[in-house]
Amino acid sequence: MAIVADAGVLYGLLAVGAGLATGLAGIGAGVGEQGIGAAVVGVVAEEPGFLGKGLFLMLLPETLIIFGLAVSLILMFAWTPFSGIVTP
Amino acid sequence: MLRPVEMSRVVIAGSKDVISPVVEKLHELRLLHIVNYNGNQPEFELGKPIGKAKEYSEDLIKLRSATRYLDIKNKAPDKTYPESQVLSEMDNLLNNVGAEVTATFERITAIEAEVKSKQDQIKALTPLSVLPLPLEAYYGYDSLATFVGTAATPVDADVARVSPVNEIFTGTAKNATLVAIFVPLDKAGEVSAVLSEHGFSETSVPKLEGNVDSAIATLEGGIKSLEGEKAPLQKKLADMKKQYEDLMLATDEYLSMQTRKTEAPLRFAETANAFVIDGYVPSDQFARLKSELESAAGGRLEVQLIADKEADDLVEKGEDIPTKMDNPSLARPYELVTRLFAIPEYKEFDPSLLIFVFFPIMFGMILGDVGYGVMTFLVLIMLKKKFRTEGWQQLINIVMIGSVWSIIFGVFYGEIFGPLGLWGRIMGQLPEHELELAKEAGLYFGEGVYGSLGRLGPLGIFPMDRLASNAVLLLIGTSIFIGVIHCSVGSILGIMTELNYGEKKHAYFERLPVMLFQVFFAIALLGLVMGQMIMVYLGALVIVVSIVMMVMGPEGAMGLAHVPSYVSNLISYLRILAIGLASVGLAYAANQLAFYVIMPMLSGGAKDSSEFTIPAIIVGILVLLVVHFINFLLGILSPFMHPLRLHYVEMFTKFYSAHGGGVEYSPFGHVRRFLKA
Repeated sequence: MAIVADAGVLYGLLAVGAGLATGLAGIGAGVGEQGIGAAVVGVVAEEPGFLGKGLFLMLLPETLIIFGLAVSLILMFAWTPFSGIVTP
Repeated sequence: MLRPVEMSRVVIAGSKDVISPVVEKLHELRLLHIVNYNGNQPEFELGKPIGKAKEYSEDLIKLRSATRYLDIKNKAPDKTYPESQVLSEMDNLLNNVGAEVTATFERITAIEAEVKSKQDQIKALTPLSVLPLPLEAYYGYDSLATFVGTAATPVDADVARVSPVNEIFTGTAKNATLVAIFVPLDKAGEVSAVLSEHGFSETSVPKLEGNVDSAIATLEGGIKSLEGEKAPLQKKLADMKKQYEDLMLATDEYLSMQTRKTEAPLRFAETANAFVIDGYVPSDQFARLKSELESAAGGRLEVQLIADKEADDLVEKGEDIPTKMDNPSLARPYELVTRLFAIPEYKEFDPSLLIFVFFPIMFGMILGDVGYGVMTFLVLIMLKKKFRTEGWQQLINIVMIGSVWSIIFGVFYGEIFGPLGLWGRIMGQLPEHELELAKEAGLYFGEGVYGSLGRLGPLGIFPMDRLASNAVLLLIGTSIFIGVIHCSVGSILGIMTELNYGEKKHAYFERLPVMLFQVFFAIALLGLVMGQMIMVYLGALVIVVSIVMMVMGPEGAMGLAHVPSYVSNLISYLRILAIGLASVGLAYAANQLAFYVIMPMLSGGAKDSSEFTIPAIIVGILVLLVVHFINFLLGILSPFMHPLRLHYVEMFTKFYSAHGGGVEYSPFGHVRRFLKA
């Protein structure tokens, strides 16, 4: 069975994949941050000196979305797995 | 610079006769960080306050209650006072002014309470107006029970059943039925039980006389006259606040200073005839402290330096050497960032100078727009005049230096309020055919030029359109490169810190391998991209060596668990690119929307900017303003938060957290704000 691939469709799928990578990573980071954020706000209300460490903890899951973004960037700019098929 | 100021441990011992001049001198010099005596040596007792400590604190309490009533908060001084003026006006301020403030404030509180009670009465009376009874009819009976309130369903029949003798008045208010029921006292219990089945809820009737409406009118009149009395009193308080604000703050400062001085001996050790003060002083100030104190005490005092070895013993026993950060004035605002995380310990490094180097560059790389940079700068200049407390000033300075860098990077990126916007109109653009050539050759880095200079840099990469794919790839590399340098600097500080603490194993087998791993991981990546396999092999080799070193380190094989985080540390620096792209993207979208969608559309499909109609241009500019404003707000917040995180998470963890927070150097004394020196 031959794989019939249209270059436009493949590029579109690549873009959808890139979007999903960033978007889902964003949701993940958000879920991670919500608990930490709530806890940090609670602690800072009791002890303002904790703000710096709290911020530090709160920003930890942010790396997740950067991973997603890295994957997206690779997909969009640096990786051409279908180059053989895509080139007419 | 990177290290806190060198401190010396001193002991001051003297005769009790000279304790007052010594405390006075210490307060004036502001050099000695006093180590509180904890009273655990049998030869010495805790010192006792000197002079009029009690009076000062009583005065302070009086003053503080007046300042609280006037709602005076600490602020930047508008006016300073000499101590003599404060002293001469203090009596009047504390007694006459203070008493007047208190009396006025209490009268206002009383008025407010009375108004509240009248309002409650009006609230209770309003529904009663539907019943045909005067107010005195509701109370004052010996043999009758009265029920007044709302009922959900008609009650007449049931009440008549349990109490044949009754009088019931019913009225319908807006959304409830109001009833007033009078029954003989001995039937009260049964009637109450019956009423509760009808959803009866009782209203309390104020003990007033006459017609309901006229009673309400009287109450309203009362409220009005009370409010009339309150307004001038409030104005009086506001006037007094205006008149005495600075003087009160100056007096507060004077009294706090005096209290601190008179209570200072509580921190000293004392015998029957002598006192001993322990403390730290910056080493280069020791000679000055010694000579000044000795002349103040007329020789009846001994200031002694404690030898290093003995001082080390004290530290061993749990004494903290205070940390005084020492940075050039330009870098000093960044101490705020350090402080927000933790005060470095005396033996640790103070990273403020490094933050000064890296933070604004990262801020600039992310924001990178001449327009936004200039706007941020101007807004900050305005804010700087408004927020004059030290913390705000530092914060504003931090962002201000960042905004200068963002103007610089804006020039590299060719952005004035985003690409496609003003840059092309002011500085010019590449002609169409040259753009086509660059795109075909895969060397498209943007279309802007530097006026007649054209495009600059190798391959003509500047001004670089950040949204072009070549530029994105280049910026990925640059971000990781900055990450490697940033993390390596952190690791080097980590190694040196561990060596300062004498922990060689931690230095060479915990901190060093991390640096080797990260640097050579980046080299291997670079080799892959450039196709230089020799770099890949070299990188891989050193990575393996560094992993072996980690396993040999203090954590053993558990150290390997951290390896993924060293990779993610580096990838984390991609946020420099990513957040920048988001901000450029929004600016680009705004310009595209205004110039290529809204303006042509509203001009009836005009193709050229000269054909745009005036309403179209106005709507377009409004859209530009709104979107750019949102982007501008985000554009200050994200470039601030994310480099902050890169410092706290990626860099500080390499050297900072190992030994816990330090104690900040806070010398005994006072920085005069409202008082003239």
